[in-house]
Formats: sequence, C-alpha cells, structure tokens
Amino acid sequence: MITRRLFRYLIPHRKALIGVILLLFIATAAELTGPLLIKVFIDDYLIPESFPRSPLMWLGGLYLGLHLVSVVFQYLQQFAFHRIALAVVQQLRLDVFEKVQYLGLSFFDRVADGSLVSRITNDTEAVKELFVNVMSTFIKNTVLMIGVVVAMFLLDAKLALISFILLPLIFGLMQWYRRLSFHVYQVIREKLSEINARLSESIQGMGVIQAWRQEQRVAREFAEINEQHYQANIKNTKLNSLLLRPAVDILHIATGIVVLTYFGIGVEQSAVQIGVMYAFINLLDRMFEPVNQMTMQLSFLQQAVVSVGRVFELLDENELAPSKKGEDHPRINSGRIAFENVTFSYDGKTNVLQDITFVAEPGQTVALVGHTGSGKSSIINLLMHFYSIQQGRITIDGHSHETFDKEELRTKMGLVLQDPFLFVGTIRENIRQGNDALSDEDIQQAAELVQVDSFISQLPKGMDEPVVERGATFSSGQRQLLSFSRTMALSPKILILDEATAHVDTETEEKIQKALNRMRQGRTTIAIAHRLSTIQDADLILVLHQGMIVERGTHQELLAQQGLYHKMYLLQQGMERAVG
Amino acid sequence: MSVFRDLWWYFRQEKRSYMLGVFFLLIVGMLELIPPYVVRLVMDAIKQHTLTTERLLLWLGMMALTGIVLYFLRFVWRLFIFGAAYRLAKLLRRRLLDHWSRMSPQFFHQHRTGDLMAHATNDVQAVQGTAGEGVLTLVDSMVFGGIVVTLMVTAISWKLTLIALLPMPVMAIAVAYYGKWMHERFRIAQAAFSDINDKVQENISGVRVIKSFGREERERDSFALLSQEVTQKNLAVAKIQSLFGPTISLIAGIAFFLAIVFGSRFVIRGEMTIGELTQFTMYLGLLIWPMLAFGFLFNILQRGRASYDRIRTLLAIEEDVKEGEDAIATPASGDIQIHIDSFTYNGAHTPALQGVTLTVKKGETLGIVGRTGSGKSTLFKLLMREADITDGAICIGGFSLNDYQLSALREAFGYVPQDSFLFSTTIRNNIAFANPKASQADVEAAARMACIHEDILTLEKGYETVVGERGMTLSGGQKQRISIARALLMDPEILILDDALSAVDARTEAAILSQLRRMRQGRTTLIAAHRFSGIEHAEQIIVMDEGRIKEHGNHEQLLASQGWYAWMYQQQRLESLIEQGGAQGDHTPFIQVPHSTP
Repeated sequence: MITRRLFRYLIPHRKALIGVILLLFIATAAELTGPLLIKVFIDDYLIPESFPRSPLMWLGGLYLGLHLVSVVFQYLQQFAFHRIALAVVQQLRLDVFEKVQYLGLSFFDRVADGSLVSRITNDTEAVKELFVNVMSTFIKNTVLMIGVVVAMFLLDAKLALISFILLPLIFGLMQWYRRLSFHVYQVIREKLSEINARLSESIQGMGVIQAWRQEQRVAREFAEINEQHYQANIKNTKLNSLLLRPAVDILHIATGIVVLTYFGIGVEQSAVQIGVMYAFINLLDRMFEPVNQMTMQLSFLQQAVVSVGRVFELLDENELAPSKKGEDHPRINSGRIAFENVTFSYDGKTNVLQDITFVAEPGQTVALVGHTGSGKSSIINLLMHFYSIQQGRITIDGHSHETFDKEELRTKMGLVLQDPFLFVGTIRENIRQGNDALSDEDIQQAAELVQVDSFISQLPKGMDEPVVERGATFSSGQRQLLSFSRTMALSPKILILDEATAHVDTETEEKIQKALNRMRQGRTTIAIAHRLSTIQDADLILVLHQGMIVERGTHQELLAQQGLYHKMYLLQQGMERAVG
Repeated sequence: MSVFRDLWWYFRQEKRSYMLGVFFLLIVGMLELIPPYVVRLVMDAIKQHTLTTERLLLWLGMMALTGIVLYFLRFVWRLFIFGAAYRLAKLLRRRLLDHWSRMSPQFFHQHRTGDLMAHATNDVQAVQGTAGEGVLTLVDSMVFGGIVVTLMVTAISWKLTLIALLPMPVMAIAVAYYGKWMHERFRIAQAAFSDINDKVQENISGVRVIKSFGREERERDSFALLSQEVTQKNLAVAKIQSLFGPTISLIAGIAFFLAIVFGSRFVIRGEMTIGELTQFTMYLGLLIWPMLAFGFLFNILQRGRASYDRIRTLLAIEEDVKEGEDAIATPASGDIQIHIDSFTYNGAHTPALQGVTLTVKKGETLGIVGRTGSGKSTLFKLLMREADITDGAICIGGFSLNDYQLSALREAFGYVPQDSFLFSTTIRNNIAFANPKASQADVEAAARMACIHEDILTLEKGYETVVGERGMTLSGGQKQRISIARALLMDPEILILDDALSAVDARTEAAILSQLRRMRQGRTTLIAAHRFSGIEHAEQIIVMDEGRIKEHGNHEQLLASQGWYAWMYQQQRLESLIEQGGAQGDHTPFIQVPHSTP
C-alpha cells in the first residue's frame, strides 16, 4: 500500500528510470562477460598451451575494454539513480510542505510544532535513504543476479539448473528473515524509544526525583529497560547470525560442493573444460555478494517504511483552511463590519464566543477588552476567516465574509499581531511580504507613516538590512513598528489590531501609540486593548467575559456604569501609579 | 587507534568475550581460506586426471565440514564481540544516568536536555560501534588481510602476489581521497538541510502571519528554492559517493587481469598449476573486503573517539554540593534558622539574596511574597542545599545544613515547585512517587486533601490513567494539585509550596490550604504565593524585593503598616472581582480592607 503509493512518485521519472536500468544491464553484461572471456582463454589457449599473439591481444583488449565500459556505466547508473531518488524526495517534500500551507489554523492548534517540522524534514530524509540505498541496491543486485544466471546458462545449461534451486532458497531465506526480524526489530525500536523517553524524563524531572530521593528506584527501573533492550539486541544478533551472512555463506559453500561434485563426477565421461569450471566458480562468487548486500538493506527498509507512513499520514490530513463560498467576487469598499449573533467553539463542546453582535461603521474604532480567555482573540480569528463559524453571521459591507476572495480579505484587512513575527530576509522583503505590486515608494511611505523610516535609514544597509531569525537583532519596539509598516504597505480599508503586551520603554511606547493613531485614521479598526488608556477615544468598547459581551459603550458611558470596565480601569490606574 | 587505548579498561573487563571473540574470528578467517584450496585441489586433479571418487569425497567432506564449523564459529564470535559492545552501551547509559542523578539543578541549567540526550543516544551508539564493528574491522582488515596476503605469498607465488597487488595501493589512496571529498560535500549538504529545517520551523511558528498576509504561495516557492539547493548539494555528494563502487571494481578487475596474464605465464613455465591460479584469484576476491574494512575502520574510530571524549568530559563533571565526612544520617528536624548575609550565584555579578535573617519555629507556617525574581525561589534552593551559601548559614534543629547527609536533609523536605513535573506513568504512581508501596487508600486520601480526587474520578480510567498519553491532557491546575498530593502523601517535616497553586483557581486554593492547616498541625510549612489569600493565615509573612526582606510580620501587621503588601492586597481583591465577571451589585468600597482572623 505505502510502497505502491511511493512508487507513484517514480512515474514522472519512468523514462530516466528505464534509462538507468538499461545502463545497469549494459554494465552488468560487460562485467559478467569477464569470467566468460577468461574461460575462453583457459580452455582455448592456456590448456592447449598455444599462444597466438594477435587473438590473445584481442582477448585481453576486449577484457579490459569491457571492464572499463562496465565501470563507467556503473558510475553513470549509480549517479542517475541518486538523481532520480533526490528528485522524488524533493517532490515529496514540496508536496508535504504545500499541504501544510493550506491546513487550517485548527490543525496547528492541535499538532505540536516540533513533530510537524520533523515530518517535513527528517521523515522525508528517511525516504531518501529508502530510494538511494534500499531501492538501488535491490534493483542493481537483482539485475546482477539475473545476469549471473544468464551467464551460467551460456556456460553450461545443465549445471545452471542449480540456480533454480538456489534462487528460491535465497529468496525464501530472506523472506523468512524478514518475518522473524520484523518482530525483533520492533521490540528493539520500542525499547530504545522507551530508554530515550525515560532518560529525557529523568533529566527533566531530576529535581523531583532528587527531592523525593528516588534516584535508586529510577536507576533500577531504567536498568530493567536497559537490560530488555540489550536482550533484544542479543536476540537480533543471534537472528542475524543464523539467517544472514553466515547462512548465505554456508549456502555458498554448499553450492560450491555441488559444482565441484558435478565436475568431479563428469570427469570420466568427457574432458571437462577447466575454463568452464573456473568461470562457474567465479560467477558463484559474484552471485552471493549481491545477496549479502541485499540482506544488509533489509533492516533499513523496515525503518524507512515507518517514516514514509508518517509522511503520507500528513499528506492525507484534511483539516484544511476554510475556503471561500459562492461564485461572487464582492469588494470591500467602505469597510462596515457587522457581527450578527455569532457563536463559536473550537472543539465543538465549549463555546468560546456566545451570541456576539455588534457593528463597526466605516471609519469607526471598536475596542475589545476583557481578561485572558474572554474571547477577544477568537473574534479576530473569525473575522480573518481563519476558522469557520458555526452559528450566526459576519458581514463586511453587507456581504457574508465567507464569500470574499482570500486575496480581497488579505489586502483590504490589515492584521497586526501581538507577536511581531519577522521573517528571515531583508527589511524591504519583510514590509513587501511578497506583494510585487508594491513599489519601493509604497514601502518607503509605509515606513514613514509609522515613523520607522528614521530607524531604518540609520541601519548600515537601510531597507536592505538583513533580518535574522524572528528579527532577534531588533528591539521588540522596533519589531512592532516594522510589523505595523508591513500591514500599512497594503493600505487596508480595515485595521485589526492585537495590541502588544510586550514591555517597551516609555519613549518607544509613545512612538507606537502615535503610529497606531495615524494608522487608524480613515479606517475601520477593531482593536484588542490591554491598556485601557489607549482606547479612551474608541467609538465603541465591548467588554467581554467568558465569551459574552457583558458591557458596551464609550469610555465615559462604561465608567459611569460602575461595572466590570470601571474595576478594570481602577486596577490599571493603580498599576500605573505603582510603576510611575 | 587511541580510542582503543581509552577503551582498554573495558576490553580488560570483558577479557573473556573479546579474547574468545577475536580468537574465533581469526579461526573463521583461516577457515575461509580452505574452500579456495579445495577448489584448487579438485581442479588440478581433474587437469592431471588423478581424481578418484574417494579423493573427491574426502575433499568435499572437508569443505562441508569447514562450512559447518564456519557457520557455528561465525555465530559465536558475533555473539561475543557484538554482545560485549551492547553491554558497553548498556553500561555507559547507566553511568550517565547515575551521574545525572548526582548533579544539582545548576548542571541541568547549563546543559540542555537535547545535549544530554545526544550523549546518551548518538554518542553511546558511536562508542558501541567502536567496541563492536570497530574491533571487527580492525581484525578483518589488519589480521585477516595479513593472513590472506601471507598465504598468497608463501603457498602460491610471491611474484604473482606482488604483481596482482600492485594496483591495490591506488585503490586505498583513491578511497581515502573520496572519503575526504565526500566528507566536505556532505557537510555542505547537511548545512543546506539544516537551512530547510530552519525554514520549516519559521514557517510553522509564523503560520498566523503567513495566513493573514496570504504568503502561502511565496512560502512554497522559497521552500522549493531551498529544497532545490539541498538536492543540488546532495547530488554533489552523490557524484563522489557513486565513485566508490566503480573504483573498487576497476582496481579489482585490473588486479584479476594481471593475475591471469602473469599467472598463465607461470602456469606455462610450470611454476604454478592452473588450480593454484584459480585459488589465487579467489584469494584476491577475499582481499577486497579487508581493503574496504580498512577504509571504514578510520571512519568508525574517528566517530568513536569524538563521542567517547564527549561522554568522558561529561562524566568528569563533579557534583557541586558535597557531603561532609561524618554527616548526620538522621532526617533534619526542628526550628529553621536562616541567616544569610549575602548569596551570589556562580557567574552572577549581583547577589541574589542579601541580609535575609529569620527563624521559623517548628510547626509554624511562613508566607513569602514578592515579585518574580525577588529571591523567593533562591531562598528555597538554599534551604534544600541545591547550592551552597557563600556568606552565612542555615540551620535546622541547631545543625548547619552542611552537617547533614544530603539524603537526610532531603528526607525532611517536601518540595512542590510551580512547574509541576509529572512522569508519564499512571496518576496513582505519580502520587505514590516517593512511596510506591503506599496503599490505594493513602493515595486517595492525599488526592482528597489536594482537591484532585473528584477530578481523577471523572477520567475514564481513574487513578490508572496514564499521564501524557494521546488525548489525555491535564490542565496546569490539575497537574499542580497532583504534585501537591504527591507531597502530602509523604507528610514531610517541612513542606515547601513554591508558588505551587498558581494555576489553581482561588476557591480551590482556599479549600486546599484550609485542609493543609488542619492536617499539618505541628509541622512546618513554607509557602511562596502570588495570591495573598493563600498566606493570610501564616504566622509570619515576609515580603521579598531584590533579594532583601522588605516587610516582615503577620497579615494584620503588614496591612497596618500600609506598605507594598497592603497595596497589593487591595489590587488583588479588585482583580479577583474582575475575574468573577464583576460580581454585579458588589459595591463594597475597595479601599477598606476586610479580613478574617484565623
């Protein structure tokens, strides 16, 4: 099943693959002609002791020439194999990566980052091993064995019949080993991962272990698994010794005995050709080497199959990002946002939003306040169409927000996230965000709007200053301003702000606030606010508690209500007094 | 080779296995020379028409016997040598764990889990490889290769040996060069691979930004570019890697050719029989492996050497807290007297604690509050002797901490940290961690006190639920309560709750603390908390700030003094009102401070 699916990746390379196998046949044929030539030499020239110069030169030249051909083709064939294998792995990687791009945020909520990264990189790397080593070894050696059998038939058809017994025997041995070792391998892998899990747990929990003086018990329990792992390894070694190389070697010797008997008994009937005997023994040597190589790959095969399984599992994931509905292509012109009785749950059990209704008229600012977990971020997640809503409706300029093209939503709605995540690249690239419609002028203007231009011009390379991972060389305030400018570069109609809680110095804080005020001008703004002082001029403040809007109004109205907002305000006043 | 010297202690320890293993390996090497010899005998007999059935049977019998003995010996040496190598891996892993068990938290701050794990996995694996395959390839390449060549020289023809082996050094040199090139290119390929790793990491961490800016396609394109790069770099590796096989094949082919060409001359001149020539070419075939093994050997030894050095360096780190010669073995008990003039962490510039002096009587409760980083946890760490006090002393029951054996000291404490760590075993085993023999009734009693019993019962498998299994997630508060139950089961002389209820809601916290007050009569409890409601009832409360005691007294005294404590207390009351959704209609003025007396 998995193998078949994997082989489908080879289809685009079928021509190259046929070419490789052709190369392989030529190389093998050339290689195996060698012993046949030596046979001719022994029987026709050496035994009769006649050495005509020119035929011998021919023979020697042919031998060396064929050998050279075989070697060159071997090289070409091996390299070509690598190329195909690497291309397959690249395609697989691209497929997985692309798949992940279009998965919904709900998927990322569920799956740990680390395991996802490892599936895209490490597991596909294991597939590379499978193609480069396992598959090439099997194909190459199968061809070689076929070649040997053909050469044997050319030499002595009767004796070559022995291969009909030999081949099924070898094949059976390998199958048998695979069946037996599968279980042992699994045990070794399980025990090893148990050992690693135990060790890493012991490292992380060492404080607890020491505090409760359980070092000896932990050591004892570890020793037990360590011992089980050792025993499994021993068992595997025994199995390998019984069925792999030693077994193949005894088969080799047994075949040798049969061949010698054949010639030894045949000696009375006719003059045995010594050359045939030499070539036969030489061919036998060549037949058993591939067998050993193949058996060595069996264990890799089993490991790779597990990795491939994990990659396909990810490829089959169907938790896609919500898609656009309907055939229309509505436009966002004025930027009126309306939530109508929206109820939402991430897991289908507990509602994180309940019956949310509000309207943001064009150009207005609506602020969302509430403590952690009250549902502020969920409102933004829904508005951005990161998740599908289950009940109620969100409209933008009168159209359901699910009917807009992704492109329209993304260019007209500017989202500023709490975490100003910057990408590796240059500052210009970070502001442009791959939108080639933006001119350098637009980018400069965006930087000026949020007043980060003076900071940028002070950098040695200005706009082309490189940004390291997550922009770690810039301060958090600088990162925040840069993330503002990348949003403003699109000059969106609607602004969505998830206010940063990062600690910045007062001067930067002032800059950020100024920038935010300028950004909001002429735009509908939905803002999550942690500092109530920043939203006193909002047109509407929604106070959220446990997914519900519990208070609404302007700053003054809410203070007059003496409710939750009032208490929050007092609390922050107190905090600010304490800090100041 | 020096890694063999470093591992000598182990070879000596496993003298029997290695000696027998190598001995059998050598016998195998010699027996392997017999089949070609039999082939030669038969061939020559056929040629000279002297072959009789008896002779043939004798020779073939010899060959069959060799085969059987070989099979048996091959089985045995593998078991001896590989078995010993596996035992070394087992031993090293155990030593690493033993070593870590003696290390203080300092050590675990300095060494990341990933680093330590790399020692126990990759490095142990590499050393195991040296002690197994390393020994094997050494014997194979040096000894077996030597035997074959000796035999070719003495038993067949030294002249032919010299001629046939002429191209072999070329192979050795070529393979060595390929190895060097490949290593370089492989490093570049690995760097490219780690680039795509970083890229994927960035992509997944930044998924929200990507989605809100519609960067998906651009991301895909830049990934495609990087991945193309990896492919290119790997192709460069493949170019060299593909050279190995053909080169060996080329050289071996030339060697065969030389052997046949010159061998035939010897045959004609009568210096050699045709059978001997065949035997000779078969020996040539046997030589290819030792040649290759020689190449592998250096690789294996290099890896083993680096890994074994890393393991040794790690194991050489000594514990920074040591016991005195005749330390007290009875568990610490009694009043706690703290007198710290100053304490500075290793490598830090500013002291973490300064002028902390107080006495906690046996049976009392001490509350500690203060901002993050004010020194609360440091005080606990010193108390449990995770680090030694530089200037000052802490005494329990009149004896300095340093006078106790570490285990006697630790036995007195029950420590519950904020980041409660649970092991991936059943909840029952987690609670009974310090006393695996505890009865189910005791475990449940501890769980009830920690207000987690009911939560556990709602789980499908109850106390037998395995922590951290798929789909099984405990909330932070539940984890904290389980780790409190773990401490309560032991009923320690001194219980330390280091902000251990931070993720538990206020009502449950109050319930747990009132249970604690009831159960822990006569025993000492130290509580650090953010929420003041948890420490209101303590006999003493200290407010820590920048490593110093800023305020000290009981709840009433501190409120009356109108300092930081009193102000924070009001703020917290306000906060808890907001958390409860404002508690409509509650018009209690905030400034007045109501309190209950215990």
